[in-house]
Amino acid sequence: MKHFFYKILVFGLPLLLLTFALDLFISNNLKLSNNYHGEYEVWNDIYKGDIKAEVAIYGSSRAWVQISPEILKDSLNKDVYNFGIDGNTFPMQYLRHLEYIKVNQPPKHIIIAVDFNSFKKKKDLYMYKQFLPYMLWNKNIKTHTQSYNGFRSLDYSLPLFRYLGKNAFLKKNLNIGLFSKTKENYRINGYRGMDKTWTNDFDKAKKKMSSYKIKIDPETLKLFELFLTECSKKEIKVTLVYTPEYIEGQHFIEDRNQVIDIFKSLANKYKINFIDFSQNAICLNKDLFYNTTHLNKTGSELFSRLLVHDLLELKKNTSKSIE
Amino acid sequence: MLFNSIDFALFLPLVFILYWFATKKNLKLQNALIVIASYVFYGWWDWRFLSLIIFSTLVDYTIGIYLGKETNKNKRKILLWISILVNLGFLGYFKYYNFFLDNFISAFSFFGHPINARSLNIILPVGISFYTFQTLSYSIDVYRKKLEPTADIISFAAFVSFFPQLVAGPIERATNLLPQFYKKRHFNYSRAVDGLRQILWGLFKKVVIADNCAAIVNTIFDNHQDYSGSTLLLGAIFFAFQIYGDFSGYSDIAIGTARLFGFNLKQNFAFPYFSRDIAEFWRRWHISLSTWFRDYLYIPLGGSRGSKSKVIRNVFIIFIVSGFWHGANWTFIIWGALNAIYFLPLLLANKNRNHIEVVAFNKKYPSIKTLLNILLTFGLTTLAWIFFRAENINHAFQYIKGICNTSLFSIPEIRPTDLIILLISFIGIEWLGRRNQYALETFGLKWKTPIRICFYYVLIFLIFWFSGNDQTFIYFQF
Repeated sequence: MKHFFYKILVFGLPLLLLTFALDLFISNNLKLSNNYHGEYEVWNDIYKGDIKAEVAIYGSSRAWVQISPEILKDSLNKDVYNFGIDGNTFPMQYLRHLEYIKVNQPPKHIIIAVDFNSFKKKKDLYMYKQFLPYMLWNKNIKTHTQSYNGFRSLDYSLPLFRYLGKNAFLKKNLNIGLFSKTKENYRINGYRGMDKTWTNDFDKAKKKMSSYKIKIDPETLKLFELFLTECSKKEIKVTLVYTPEYIEGQHFIEDRNQVIDIFKSLANKYKINFIDFSQNAICLNKDLFYNTTHLNKTGSELFSRLLVHDLLELKKNTSKSIE
Repeated sequence: MLFNSIDFALFLPLVFILYWFATKKNLKLQNALIVIASYVFYGWWDWRFLSLIIFSTLVDYTIGIYLGKETNKNKRKILLWISILVNLGFLGYFKYYNFFLDNFISAFSFFGHPINARSLNIILPVGISFYTFQTLSYSIDVYRKKLEPTADIISFAAFVSFFPQLVAGPIERATNLLPQFYKKRHFNYSRAVDGLRQILWGLFKKVVIADNCAAIVNTIFDNHQDYSGSTLLLGAIFFAFQIYGDFSGYSDIAIGTARLFGFNLKQNFAFPYFSRDIAEFWRRWHISLSTWFRDYLYIPLGGSRGSKSKVIRNVFIIFIVSGFWHGANWTFIIWGALNAIYFLPLLLANKNRNHIEVVAFNKKYPSIKTLLNILLTFGLTTLAWIFFRAENINHAFQYIKGICNTSLFSIPEIRPTDLIILLISFIGIEWLGRRNQYALETFGLKWKTPIRICFYYVLIFLIFWFSGNDQTFIYFQF
């Protein structure tokens, strides 16, 4: 029996080392892939630890396709990075925030692109494969993703285990990572303007349902308040920005005002600024959108300038009130 | 619990360590541990159905005791019938109730007498077809006085529920397995290593071969109307490999696992796709079921003795019953009947035992004639598999119709190069290992250790690469 266990050990030990090596190989190559709407690029920038942004933009796709760090940088004279995470609501935005400040210098100012879905909690972890290369033995990722459908508990602790059964995904993405010659960045400083014209997404949604009812998850709301408290303690300025929505889409959302009221009351409670762009004239121009909730490149550049303008106005007003 | 799951990967070493260390090699404790482990293994799927296994165990154990004591022929017969009725009653209710009901309703409606009856929402307990046949064989063998009834309830419970083969066989005979529970078992290094090798090969067959084929087979069978004849033919061939990899893979894992605990289970598959005729195929495919039907149905019916009409009847009965055993669907009955049709000419011409020895036993390669025979046999079984895989008879006929047109000679729309390379390598290894119990038994043993180890690592890597698709075993549904 001793001999049997000895042999198992001799056979298994190199295999174990091989799993570590393979894990490292797969993870490093996945990181090179510019798939998943550039999410890997943002995570890579975060884990490199050399983001020195004074202004950080948080949010979902409504952040990363709509707010241009370049435009903000030019006008504010500050380094800006857009941390918008595609298709995810605040819990994942918070995870990204935690990972960002864990290895980077914290920002002085956080602009959060909020919307009617900010406090929604989904059952499935959207684009959960973006976490694969970074999640092994990562406590924050485990804490914030384990309540979703997507990962098994051993995925966080056993090397290679999380890649089981993902051969099609790996084949596709490792190909990109290993063999693609031009590894152009998908996003720049986390942002990408979308050269798109109006799609029929909205018509499809209308066909599916007559209206969209907002679901607010109390736990997510609590987490948002925790985040605001933490920022206040660390003296990080926070600005809530309700990004533009095409006017027709606004009528489609039930209880929209209820969510806006929540943002207003949070702004009052934590003495932070809330800028609501959903009433801005930009929302009347269909040509600036590619669907009801996302501006195209032209729209996003215009919106970024409007945002800069408002931020500077707020700054002026604050300075005046201090004086 | 599935063999290809992480749960089993944790369960097996735990039970192994407890079995050889915590029980201090005490036979009773080891048997008790096997019962507990087997119940946990089964209960992992649905603990409620454990009651069925326990009830079936108690019934056959008690009947066995009474059969041992009873000398009166009639009373012994009654006892046997109680066992048969209880076991087949469970099987009939859980597996065939809705089938018979639906067919009665259809038949009455056809003759203009519609009846109102509702199908029941019955869950088929996993492995019921396997363990009921195992317990039945015990009662029949005790009745025939081929086996002494056991007074050891723990050993009997372990025999009925032995987790490696509980849910998908091999269907063990009490005469082979039960006595192994009475004997003290010693850990044997070579057997344990051999067991691990067989588990590895079984996992490869299941995860790499069967599951990969399954993905393509499902696409082709579910959308058969969209594909050319050549693609449909490819789909049928892939299904032949899927079902072989799936079921023989399960058997390999079961046999290998049992070996780790010091048990010998019977070989269930002996390279059936290298068979030179259908009779040989049926001696090599699902051996434990074929021999079960041979011993408990075919021979009692008269077997190949008697008039030709009686022989024909007997052949059709065992093949159709065997088909029906697989599932309550007419497709399985047709599959069985088709195999009977293939088999009969050989039996009637007394050529059913032409190929007893392993194909090309003393040669590296088969002769052209042998190869053609192998291909013909494979073609016939593949045709029958279409009925086995189809949702219903119409689906099967539509599928075959789709194959039989000019598009059969076109280039298939689906050309999975990776899978074809894997299949060719797989067939090659199977061919080289065809003289053994399983292909990997001696394959590579003469190589230098580092090379052999690297080969095993490659197999493990391939299993890892293709695993995790949560594909259950086909035979679980039977």
